Amino acid sequence: MTLMNFFNALIFVLFAFFMQTSITGVNRKIMARLQKRRGPRWYQQFLDIFKALSKSSISHGWVFQFGVVMAVGGIMATVMFIPIGDFRAFPGTDNIFIISYLLAVGMLGMAMSAAGSGNPWASIGVGRALTNMLAYDMPFMVVVVTMIFAFKTSSVGEIAEIQRNIGVLGWNIFRLPLGGIVGLICLQGMLGKKPFDSFIAPAEIASGPMVEYGGRQLGMLFILHELMTFIEVSLIVNLFFGGGATLLEYFIKYFIIYTFANLVSGISPRFKIDQAVTFYYKAPLLAALVQGFIVVFTGWGVTKWL
Amino acid sequence: MNLLSIITILIVGGLLTYVVSRMNKIVGAYMTIIISLATLAMVLFIKSQVGSTYSILYFSFKLTEVGWYFSFVLALTYAMSAFYNVYFTDKLLYPHTYSMLYLLSLGGSIGLFFARDFITFFVFWELVVWSSAFIIPLGKSRKASYIYYVISTMGSLATLYAILLIYKLTGSLVIREAFVLLDVSLGESILIFGLFILSGLTKIGIFPFHVWLPLAHGSAPHTFSPILSGGLVKLGAYVAYISVVIFPAYGAFSSTFMVLGIPLPIYLLMVLGAISIVIGTLMAIRQDDAKKLLAYSSVANGGYILIGILMKDQIAFAGGLLHLFAHAIASATAFLTIAAVAYRTGTTKMSELGGMIHRMPITYTVYLISIISMAGIPPMAGFVSKWLILQGLANQGLLFISLAAFFGSIGSFLYVFRPLSAVFLGQLAPKHENLKEAPPLMLIPMILLTCITLFVGIFPNTVLESITHIQREAGINMLELQQNAIVTLNGYLNAYHVFVVFAYGFVLALILYLLMPNSRRVGLMDTYTSAEFIYTPELLHYAHDFYAPFERLYGKHPSTLKLYERLSLKVQELGTFVDYAFMSHRPSLTVFWIMLFMSLIAMGGVVQ
Repeated sequence: MTLMNFFNALIFVLFAFFMQTSITGVNRKIMARLQKRRGPRWYQQFLDIFKALSKSSISHGWVFQFGVVMAVGGIMATVMFIPIGDFRAFPGTDNIFIISYLLAVGMLGMAMSAAGSGNPWASIGVGRALTNMLAYDMPFMVVVVTMIFAFKTSSVGEIAEIQRNIGVLGWNIFRLPLGGIVGLICLQGMLGKKPFDSFIAPAEIASGPMVEYGGRQLGMLFILHELMTFIEVSLIVNLFFGGGATLLEYFIKYFIIYTFANLVSGISPRFKIDQAVTFYYKAPLLAALVQGFIVVFTGWGVTKWL
Repeated sequence: MNLLSIITILIVGGLLTYVVSRMNKIVGAYMTIIISLATLAMVLFIKSQVGSTYSILYFSFKLTEVGWYFSFVLALTYAMSAFYNVYFTDKLLYPHTYSMLYLLSLGGSIGLFFARDFITFFVFWELVVWSSAFIIPLGKSRKASYIYYVISTMGSLATLYAILLIYKLTGSLVIREAFVLLDVSLGESILIFGLFILSGLTKIGIFPFHVWLPLAHGSAPHTFSPILSGGLVKLGAYVAYISVVIFPAYGAFSSTFMVLGIPLPIYLLMVLGAISIVIGTLMAIRQDDAKKLLAYSSVANGGYILIGILMKDQIAFAGGLLHLFAHAIASATAFLTIAAVAYRTGTTKMSELGGMIHRMPITYTVYLISIISMAGIPPMAGFVSKWLILQGLANQGLLFISLAAFFGSIGSFLYVFRPLSAVFLGQLAPKHENLKEAPPLMLIPMILLTCITLFVGIFPNTVLESITHIQREAGINMLELQQNAIVTLNGYLNAYHVFVVFAYGFVLALILYLLMPNSRRVGLMDTYTSAEFIYTPELLHYAHDFYAPFERLYGKHPSTLKLYERLSLKVQELGTFVDYAFMSHRPSLTVFWIMLFMSLIAMGGVVQ
């Protein structure tokens, strides 16, 4: 770990933030066209965040503020572990379990801060968010274990590289098709997009965890949301679509996947939280297990491929 | 200074404490602190004597690496929890008995970890079972103690039977010799393995023997719950270790059906461990009592430890042993914080508490760090151990077990968050307005344990080094350790780097946050309430049925405890029938039996 690593990491976090926030802006436009509106300009998302950061705000005690910092700090650290092509801010740290558990620090921080506000809506939202996590993580993690077993590595960057070395047909979405579909379904839950967005339902529970925030805390949470989206979409790009040898390739894949998730969200209704759990524990979990058994017992798609 | 002096000091010290406590119970409580701290120091001291043997009277001991590791974990939890004894002497019915049994159970556990022969092992095992069985009813309920005792006895008797069987087959009672001498058929080896490990399963609370944990942990004295969860449950892990490593289970079962390289009997036990993880998690999510919630989490974590040890490989085995340490520390800390809250407020029910952070901030911070470790989030000790177990499982392709492990892992976010939110965060009830922070003597162990959790999370190799020694002793491939890093077949973890990066991210976020305009402090009741006017903090505190929509999905599940109750009812009915039919003084029945026997004899005569 040299000073250069830390500098690279900082640049990378800034890059991730600007990339995802721009894409969010463009997607707001796409969403508007889907709903026959004109939509805001593509940089509106930046304006929203900087405006929130500069406004006055209230605090409900030290944990209300500390939780926000812990959340954003944890998520920033997680971003530094994400590999793009051969680039890694800190070499040797792109282990899938580290990424998925460090992501939880951010969630815990935010949950803690929200519950610290003393508002019951926030607690209800947090309860739903955690339940949602328990739902989508099961099928996703089964697919991840299958991949680790298949490729004998738990490094996200290496899994992406193995796919790239074979070519387009080496992508896991083709080699492990069931797993790939499960991954995309789980992405919808990870991002908290419809139909799995009951924990931030604005009209029902007043935006859930976000209800008490304003000013700089809200601005920080916007940043948190953008960075979290970056991590989650990046995981899918790296695990199922071969990552990207160049930044452009990565960007294109990333943009398509995120926009696809957004379009699905745009035309979906909302699940109740228990419906989300039963949904994930039926077809996706079964598909993930079937994919796992195929790989473990027959090797189709891994040892036997083309 | 050797092993014998530790055990002697504990047993004699225990008896002496009883006498002193009768005169002054506070002095007796301080004696438990001093003696258990001295034990911890001596256990650290004898590390250099590994390999030597001792014998006294009919008992014989051998200082092994694995025994040392287990003793260290237990001595640490006992020494830390002892600080609480001082504050709870008034709340116990028999404080002098408590202080004595406290030390005796520690002496029993240390004796059993170093036992060289089965008789020593069994005697000390029973010492632990009996002393803890008498401590538990000093708390809230006697029923808990009955159930604990019955389930423990089931295990103990099975193990005793296995020991007798081994003696009959080999003529040796020395643990490490007898198992090697065993040369029996597959059926017999499965029988011995199953019987021997049963006491371990009952102790660690594996399904279907988990029913005693929530009852005993929930109603034991507040100072003893940390010991039960952090220490005594781990005795079961030691039995599992003996049954898998010293008893050559993998070799003996090599002719059975193999599930991905694991013999079927061992795989089935792993499935039991996986079921425990799932059941422990689901039940922990729906508890209202914080101590019961933590007890069910011990059931779930016991599953991880069992699975890790049963794997007996390079990675998951080390993970299981590290998890034993990490969970013992984290769980003991969590129980201690709840005990501190209970000491100040008099309740452990989450729905009656709330907003404790505004009165007990240090206790809150300690609880936060302990649950981060328990949930397996970096940079705490629990993360490293879960990482190792998951890597080991993924390496073997054990999908169902991994699924349970993930369920327990993500599910633990749900249940550890509940006390955090319902006890420490949320609205502060007016009746708790004048509470104070926990007394200083309680803060010492809490802060020490927190530092240990954090330290092991950043430098896991300090503990993993001892574990590699155990692996060498057990003849397993040793885990590959580099400076600050762990290298496995399919992964690489440098916990120190993870911590540094996390700290870096935190500092960046903090700088960004501090650059922005300051916030105005408002009261807790000053929140958005959808235009309702609410002036009662208790009504605005969200603690009941936290995960109601999720709990509804499995609300009507069959209960193991009810099954046992139904079974005991059937036994009672049988007893009543026998009593009615043979023992009653009804003349009509006597006449009936005489007639029946007479006619039977007569018929027999006719047939002849």
